Amino acid sequence: MLQMTGITKTYPTPQGPLKVLDDVDLSLAAGESLALMGESGSGKSTLLHLAAGLDLPDKGSVHLGGQRLSALNETKRATLRRDQLGLVFQQFHLVPSLSVRNNLSLQARLAGREDDAWTEHLLTRLGLAEFAARYPEQLSGGQQQRLAIGRALAPKPRLLLADEPTGNLDEAAAAQVLALLQALIDESGCALLMVTHSAQVAAPMQRHLLLKRGKLMDKAL
Amino acid sequence: MSATAPSVLRTTLATLLSHYRRHPGQLVMLLLGLWVASALWSGVQAINASARESYDRAEALFSADLDRITRRDGAALTLDDYLDLRRAGLPVSPIIEGELPLPNGKSDGERLTLIGIEPLTLPSGASLAQQDGDANALRDWLIPPYRMRVAPDTLEQVRTLNSLPPLEITPDLPPATLVTDIAAAARLLDMDRGITRLVIAPEHDVELPSAFVRTSPDALASPGQLADSFHLNLTAMGLLALVVGLFIVHAALGLALEQRLGLLRTLRALGVPARTLILALGLELLLMGSIGALLGIVSGVILAQLLLPDVAATLDSLYDTTVSDTLNLPWYYWLGGVAITLGGLFSAGASMLWRASRINVLGLGQAQAWRGRLRGQLRVQLLFGGVLLAGAGFLWWYLASTAGRQDLALGFTLVALLLLGAALCLPPLLAGLLGLLARYLPRRAALLQWGVADLQLQLPQLSLAMMALLLALSANLGVGSMVGGFRLTFLDWLDQRLLADLYVRPAAEQFEDLEAWLKERSEVATLLPARSTEAELIMNGKNAGPVALFGIAPKLILRDSWPLLDTQDGYGAAWRDLIAGAAFINEQLARRQGLAPGDRVQLQGPTGLVTLDIAAVYPDYGNPRGEITLPVARLAREFQAPSGTLGVVLAPTQDRERTLTRLQDALSARFRLADNDASLIDQQALKQLATEVFERTFTITRALNALTLGVAGLALLTTLLAQAEARRAQLAPLWAMGVSRGRLVRLQIGQLVMACLGTALLAIPLGLLLTGALVAVINVAAFGWRLPLHVFPAQIAMTVALAVVVAIVAALIPAWRLRRVPPRQLLQEFAAA
Repeated sequence: MLQMTGITKTYPTPQGPLKVLDDVDLSLAAGESLALMGESGSGKSTLLHLAAGLDLPDKGSVHLGGQRLSALNETKRATLRRDQLGLVFQQFHLVPSLSVRNNLSLQARLAGREDDAWTEHLLTRLGLAEFAARYPEQLSGGQQQRLAIGRALAPKPRLLLADEPTGNLDEAAAAQVLALLQALIDESGCALLMVTHSAQVAAPMQRHLLLKRGKLMDKAL
Repeated sequence: MSATAPSVLRTTLATLLSHYRRHPGQLVMLLLGLWVASALWSGVQAINASARESYDRAEALFSADLDRITRRDGAALTLDDYLDLRRAGLPVSPIIEGELPLPNGKSDGERLTLIGIEPLTLPSGASLAQQDGDANALRDWLIPPYRMRVAPDTLEQVRTLNSLPPLEITPDLPPATLVTDIAAAARLLDMDRGITRLVIAPEHDVELPSAFVRTSPDALASPGQLADSFHLNLTAMGLLALVVGLFIVHAALGLALEQRLGLLRTLRALGVPARTLILALGLELLLMGSIGALLGIVSGVILAQLLLPDVAATLDSLYDTTVSDTLNLPWYYWLGGVAITLGGLFSAGASMLWRASRINVLGLGQAQAWRGRLRGQLRVQLLFGGVLLAGAGFLWWYLASTAGRQDLALGFTLVALLLLGAALCLPPLLAGLLGLLARYLPRRAALLQWGVADLQLQLPQLSLAMMALLLALSANLGVGSMVGGFRLTFLDWLDQRLLADLYVRPAAEQFEDLEAWLKERSEVATLLPARSTEAELIMNGKNAGPVALFGIAPKLILRDSWPLLDTQDGYGAAWRDLIAGAAFINEQLARRQGLAPGDRVQLQGPTGLVTLDIAAVYPDYGNPRGEITLPVARLAREFQAPSGTLGVVLAPTQDRERTLTRLQDALSARFRLADNDASLIDQQALKQLATEVFERTFTITRALNALTLGVAGLALLTTLLAQAEARRAQLAPLWAMGVSRGRLVRLQIGQLVMACLGTALLAIPLGLLLTGALVAVINVAAFGWRLPLHVFPAQIAMTVALAVVVAIVAALIPAWRLRRVPPRQLLQEFAAA
């Protein structure tokens, strides 16, 4: 599903170039779940952005669904993202001017794969059915995060990329959201690459990797 | 299955537009800006297009194709003159022209122009002829009850007249004009043997008897020149309103983009290609633009319909041009209105599209990151504004160094550079001013310090509205000072030039008797005879076209008051030179031909080539033509100028009015002169008429100016309303810390007054520079004469007061809303902040 080989990424800083990722290899099979752990600033989010085709590596290659991302132009990368990926952000990034239902179905509609039954199912499973006509600002933090997960799953992606999906929630809400995410992933059969710094959040994942000083290593929990 | 491009575009567009459902104030502001800009521009253009259509019809009829023949002695042409010329074998045709008063005219003295032609002798191909060659039609035209041609927009007026020949509709005729056979016209005008003019085809190169003068249509003073300047004035004001309106649009678009940066990044992350996003934003602009243009054009036409009768009356009284008071809009007007609104919208939205195209998709969660670049942006803006101002300075220097050959387009470019440069410099200057204030405010004035710091934060949102206000205030000051200065100069000049208490224009055969009679009267102190004619100006051995010649009696009373702009050896010497054989020229001629005192010109007169030394240049406001002034006796002798007017200066008396009336009565009784046939003109009445004409000329300018200021105030108000919600989130923490809502309201008003005062401070020098550019560059290029620069302290004080009033009015509604917001809501906003 996802194949990243020899990935190197450097950012310019006032103190000189900073190598965030150094010759990283990562692969993820269809339906597999993987937790990518590491301290703040270790390059987790950068790796996630490269996997999503939001940015390109300085060295190495990223293959998503069999396609080499650096060989695609910006429009084709966007299309690939729209059709095959689901993204969950730590800050939710919901559209404040769209209702809960329209927020949830946004990417599915963009991808031309809106499925009313699936949308209703997600709304019910996420506990948002009674708030479908409300706007994001009228929801609690946990509800907003559940909505963000629902939006990512609505187009039935082959790979879900989640960046600290419970980072803004308290412990109880985080556990609830996580259980729901895991259940929906199992239902939909998509692969999951989750970035987190919490061992508790990472525990249910099938594989665990640690990113430290730009290098990737296995992590035992 | 992958989505098709249209469905992605549709979903993206719907998502973008959903923003306005949550922020209807921004949508209203955007549409309001477009509507106002488009309405004022379309209104002015509708007036111009309609008037131009009337001019085109008039020009096609009157000035294009026939030479005119008049008597050299200025006497009226008679039937005998026509017969003499025809007997001499000259193919001339008679025309009579007069005015038919309308019994139920919309305004007092409303009249129609009646032209009588003689179809059999009128040169074929002339616009007036317009016969289709049908013998029956010609017969109907020549014999009673005759036929009369009329334009469709004059039909309503014509119906109020009785005993007219049967009407033929001719769309090409100018408004308020009737054309019929000369016999029918003579009956209607009660002109038995008189002829208004004789015409001849230009290709007939025949020698006229010496008693007649032939004038080609090119030599006639263009009646459209001053009217064109009037329309240019309107266009410039319309353009200013358009620019100010587009500032509102720009502000609204900037605000909408700022609030949607996060959304744009999310859409990109969810797989919307950059190109699709830009296309969707472009479509959003197109949709808004179409609605705004439609609203604007419809309102503009309504505005024009309301203003047109006044404009038509002004143009009629000012420039003697007849403009239809119903709108006749050509197809290109509608297309032009939509194009200019959409063009303006896309130029205002270009920066939004550019910024949206450069959004870094990795900046998710950094929607406000651009604020950090504000300082850099301000530096770039200052630099760019400085470059434009330097460009304006260079252009001014260039135009000043090429005096006499100034280009109106370059003049307007100068004004545009000046205004745009200053507007761009405003936000960095305001930021600098606030920075200074923040540094020197006492530490104890915590709330004031917060207010200044907060105003600095608000600057990016407020700057466009402030720029619009700067343009409106400086235009108000600039145009106000120009009009005030013009008024002062013009009235002063009228006082200097209209010295006599009464002007008498007797018939040529009465002139000597009348002059002798007046000389004997004890109440008459002195007589100032004047004559005028024209001659060909010869420059460097080549004919430079006709020039007007004006003859004056260089008596002491005239010498004491006649204003001169430039002399070679001083005022007294110039008059001595004039008496000794030199000439004065008007400013228009001096600028057009690059002439100055000490230069020499040649004139081709009826007695041969005459060489004249130029002794002085004099101001001649309102005259579109070049003019040379000579002693009246010399003008009569060397240029055979017909007898003209006699200015009568009364001896000092206790009761001027009574003396004048007695003299007028005596003149009427003895010489059969009457003040209603323009042979007796009272100086006071003349001055009053000139002043009225002056005031009417600038009524519309003043109205548009005030409207532009209103638009700028609206820009400020809508900006404040659009961001009122966000502002409350800033103010809520202060409220939570114990600042009452009343103080918060005062603080908000104080902040805006401070920003507007800063803007007014820059508007003052800019307005004065604008006045300078108007009087020294635009006026010279448009009219050929320059006005002295006047500065009016009261006008400056008014500008500052206006800025404060605009600030208070604009801040009042958001402040009132803040005062009424329930504490629960402020608590929520505090939690959100």
